[in-house]
Amino acid sequence: MEQIKEYFNIAFRNIRTRSLRSWLTILGIVIGVFLIISLLSLSEGIKETITKQLKSLGGEMIFVMPGSEANPIMMMMGGDQLQRDDVSAIKKTKGVDKVLTMSYTGSVARYKDEGKTIFIAGQPWKESLELLQDYQGWSLAEGRWPISGKNEVIVGQQVANEVFNQKVRVDTEILIKGRKFQVVGILNSLGSKTDDTFVYMDMDIYQDITGQKPGSAQIAMVKIEEGASLNQVAEDLKNNLEKTRKRRAGTDEADFSVITSEKISGIAESMLAVIEIAIIAFASIAIIVGGIGIMNTMFTSVRERTREIGIMKAIGAPNSAILFIFLFEAGIIGFTGGLGGTLLGVLLAKSIEMYGQVHPLFYFYASVSPGLIIFGLVFSFVVGCLSGMVPARQAALLKPVEALRKYE
Amino acid sequence: MPEAVIKLEDVWKIHKLGKVDLVALKDINLEIDEGAFVTIMGPSGSGKSTLLNMIGCLDFPTKGKVILKDKNIANLTEDQLSQLRGRIIGFVFQEFNLLPNLTALENVMLPMVFQKTPVEKREKKAKELLEAVGLKERITHLPTELSGGERQRVAIARAFANDPELVIADEPTGNLDSITGKKIMEILTDFHKREGKTIVVVSHDPQIASYSKDVINIKDGQILANHQQGAKVLWSK
Repeated sequence: MEQIKEYFNIAFRNIRTRSLRSWLTILGIVIGVFLIISLLSLSEGIKETITKQLKSLGGEMIFVMPGSEANPIMMMMGGDQLQRDDVSAIKKTKGVDKVLTMSYTGSVARYKDEGKTIFIAGQPWKESLELLQDYQGWSLAEGRWPISGKNEVIVGQQVANEVFNQKVRVDTEILIKGRKFQVVGILNSLGSKTDDTFVYMDMDIYQDITGQKPGSAQIAMVKIEEGASLNQVAEDLKNNLEKTRKRRAGTDEADFSVITSEKISGIAESMLAVIEIAIIAFASIAIIVGGIGIMNTMFTSVRERTREIGIMKAIGAPNSAILFIFLFEAGIIGFTGGLGGTLLGVLLAKSIEMYGQVHPLFYFYASVSPGLIIFGLVFSFVVGCLSGMVPARQAALLKPVEALRKYE
Repeated sequence: MPEAVIKLEDVWKIHKLGKVDLVALKDINLEIDEGAFVTIMGPSGSGKSTLLNMIGCLDFPTKGKVILKDKNIANLTEDQLSQLRGRIIGFVFQEFNLLPNLTALENVMLPMVFQKTPVEKREKKAKELLEAVGLKERITHLPTELSGGERQRVAIARAFANDPELVIADEPTGNLDSITGKKIMEILTDFHKREGKTIVVVSHDPQIASYSKDVINIKDGQILANHQQGAKVLWSK
């Protein structure tokens, strides 16, 4: 053990004396580890945010959205709409308790002469207020709920406190698409920054100011009757919608999706898994390139120090000593690179997160787990040692007399 | 009758250079006894470096036996030989050959690291040796911060670190001026006289040979005249 410490000491000295080359090699590893740590902590953060949001939706919900399931991006963007007869078909389906329709879009809102982009959403207050409070966790921080059919809105926490320079208060007016609205209530946070950046109004009025067809909706959330099977109701919904859609369009294609909340988490998770795999793959390539850099440096080092290896062998160094010294050098280079990369990666992820918290429309959270940091450090040390293995073996197996003769 | 530290029996060394065989050593028989001070002399290309490598157990003979302390080195593994060589033989090279990244003290301690000497003991021993060669004040200096003479003194201290029975010096004064060279030889003879160490010096300088009782003259890979048994030096001073 004592020997190992000495070998480590020698390795450390050797690295220090050729500092420029060592630092350049370390830089190669820094870049790879930096990529892995920053991107993984961000994608892990996105995953956690989505999971949290999905949990807040409540478990027993079915969502009906226009657009095919096979194309989740299009589905989420939601250019298409559910028509009036689609909505009534949903309502008529067996096992459906309540249906909450909702539409949303981005719009400029003016508050006290200041214009900002926010989201506006419309839902029929009469039918949906109870559902929103019971299943979506809506509650008021201030004011009261709006009355159906009036130009009244409630605003999310972000809109109330962050978006405008002046805080939005109850009983003030806000101008959206040329119409004046009375702010009657401020919601408690709904758990996601995006949801808190909404202004919520009655569906009829929303359709009036946005020009959306009356009775249609972008999304329908279905609460099923107690005791009904989630999957059975979803299946029935799909069949009913297919019928109405086919009647109307005369095509075979069912361009809508019926998904349960479970399925949404599944889709989101698999999408993120693909992204994470891609991140790991690209960052691994960067680290492999870094590893080749270490190998190159170590081979050069073995060549340059052949004579030193000969001296050490002459004065009694066993092969293992030479092997350890060179392995440690490679390992230290890898580890230092890992340390730098981890630090920079965490720094970048955290500054993106901080930016996201200041900026109202951009919610980002970086998940820097101790596991990820340990992974970054151990991984880079192992890459270093693996890259140093072949050069170190070459050094250890040199014959003392030949090593001493070389470069005389 | 003193015991032999190292014995060469019918040793041949043949280097293969392409298709040509180059005979570096031809049927060498040699015994170096405990406590001897031997100088190996010969012009360059005479095979004296090859002979030194054999005596120092740095290389294996093509034919014949090298016996270090009753052990045929051909029967040892590489690590066993390294261990034995580190314990029994100390080296002083012409080029000093200190490790450039270690201080004087660390350089002297290194052979003891390989012999697994405890850290306190190796530090104490290294300091004693550096003091003995007159470098007490320079122990924390790197080789680049030392003069040639000082470096060679560190190298001598290193050679004696493991209390070896045999110290081999390959042209120890070759890179030094005559005054410094003389000092180095005095340090070596001092160790020989005081501690009875066996010393083998390789040189082509007759001045150096004058320090030793025994001179081996080598030419074309063969021992010309073996002036062991206390014969006088043939060269004029």
